Amino acid sequence: MAALLEVADVTVRFGGLTAVDAVSLQVGAGEVCALIGPNGAGKTTLFNAVSGNVAVTDGRVTFRGEAIHRLTPHEIAAKGVRRTFQNGGLFGQLTALENVLVGLHTRVDSRLLGLLAGRKAARQAEQAATRQARELLDIFEIGHVADTPAADLSGGQQRMVEIVRALATEPPLLLLDEPAVGLAPHMRAQLGAVIRRLAAERGIGILLIEHAIELVMSVSDRVVVLNYGKKVADAPPDVVRADRNVLEAYLGHA
Amino acid sequence: MLAVFLQLVVSGVATGMLYALVALSMTVGYRATTVVNFGHGDMVMAGAYAVFVFVGSGLPFAPALLLGLVVLFLFGLGTQRVLMRPIIAGPHLSLAMMALAIGYAVRGGARLEWGSEVTTLQRPYAQDAWMVGPVVFTTDDLVIATFVILLLLVLFLVFNVTPVGRLIRAVFQSQRGAALVGIDVHAFHGVMWGAGAALGAAGGVLLALIVPLSPDMGVWTLLRGFAAMTLGGFGSLHGAVIGGLILGVMEKLLGFYLSTVFIDITAYLITILVLLIRPSGLFGRQAAVRV
Repeated sequence: MAALLEVADVTVRFGGLTAVDAVSLQVGAGEVCALIGPNGAGKTTLFNAVSGNVAVTDGRVTFRGEAIHRLTPHEIAAKGVRRTFQNGGLFGQLTALENVLVGLHTRVDSRLLGLLAGRKAARQAEQAATRQARELLDIFEIGHVADTPAADLSGGQQRMVEIVRALATEPPLLLLDEPAVGLAPHMRAQLGAVIRRLAAERGIGILLIEHAIELVMSVSDRVVVLNYGKKVADAPPDVVRADRNVLEAYLGHA
Repeated sequence: MLAVFLQLVVSGVATGMLYALVALSMTVGYRATTVVNFGHGDMVMAGAYAVFVFVGSGLPFAPALLLGLVVLFLFGLGTQRVLMRPIIAGPHLSLAMMALAIGYAVRGGARLEWGSEVTTLQRPYAQDAWMVGPVVFTTDDLVIATFVILLLLVLFLVFNVTPVGRLIRAVFQSQRGAALVGIDVHAFHGVMWGAGAALGAAGGVLLALIVPLSPDMGVWTLLRGFAAMTLGGFGSLHGAVIGGLILGVMEKLLGFYLSTVFIDITAYLITILVLLIRPSGLFGRQAAVRV
């Protein structure tokens, strides 16, 4: 079976610095793949390469068999690759609900002109989108702040809004950059359950950067370990846990 | 005495409406692209001349006005696409200089054609005046006020009620977030730059009702627009409108009670005072703005 996302020998260089060095990995539909490694290992850069936020120096990224590494971020997003950022990217003065609705815009888009003209079908589409957005916010326990500007929410709530916005369109592939940062423990567990459910029930492929190792181990089908831009392990969680290379990557060479 | 004061306020509000429209149109372009359009005054001028040309070619006023706005929209969109997008990743100053250069080019073109003659845009209505109590209202005042208020109302609704407006507000706040959800931010820049030019052009046409056309009318307009934006808070949409109204009234009051010299320097004075005393303006949230 062809992978949903295929990263093939991708290298990203900034001047003389090689941030990502010939990394290959695959994410299948319904698969949760975690990307771990010490700070500076190139995890976020690899994310940026996939989402089009940095230029790929060498190698290929294909999504559903189509090369996407020369496309712009909005084109990649429109193809169904959605991501969250470690920080930022929310529309601060829009409410939580509006943030999610903007995330849904590609679906309501074709009817926008009709809506301006007040067409009934278009208005119904907008209402349906609003209903769906509220439901999602409820699922993530932030329904009560749906009408609060995003900038006024707590860090954890903002994180949740960003995740809801990314997955509202039910993208085939979701890239989550440290989604658990700033979340209370019970929200972390909730997040883990949601990630599993998105993969299992909706068949969404998920690539996850996360430092919370217990979350990684509990949700991932596969764990890819990066160190100094290179891939040092790619295996199921329990195998990675026992891997010497991984320990060395985290603890440094003795 | 009171009658004079009221009269000054009424006239001030009428011109203030124009400043408000110009400041608002500059703010739209600025908020979308974070680039200040130093050539915006010339878009205002070009709008007035475009309608002048279309009316001269025999079109009735309303279609000429619409056509003029469309032309300026396309001009803004086109120049942003062709001249500014290639350098969009460069320093802000280069973009601001490019905007200034485009403005100068447009002004140069207008000078070639109309540099030596005084032209006026014929009003499409008969000028009249009414006394309401001790205050005189002219048809110009009413036309300008009605037009600007309608335009503001439409803009307000589009911005705050429609999904399109929600997208616009989203991109205003985070371009990265917008790209993230699949919005083509570059295309958006072009459209908003065009929309700013078209709105400015509408201001130019209204302005041409009360002053003669001149290729240099943009300089005068740009300065007022800046002052109104600064006073209202740079980047604030409602700030631009309120700043414009206050500027219009202040010009008349200072011009009458102190000296007519103040009509032309009020905009400078306000800009300087606001920057010294309250750089964020009345409604601004940030003091520093990158050019």
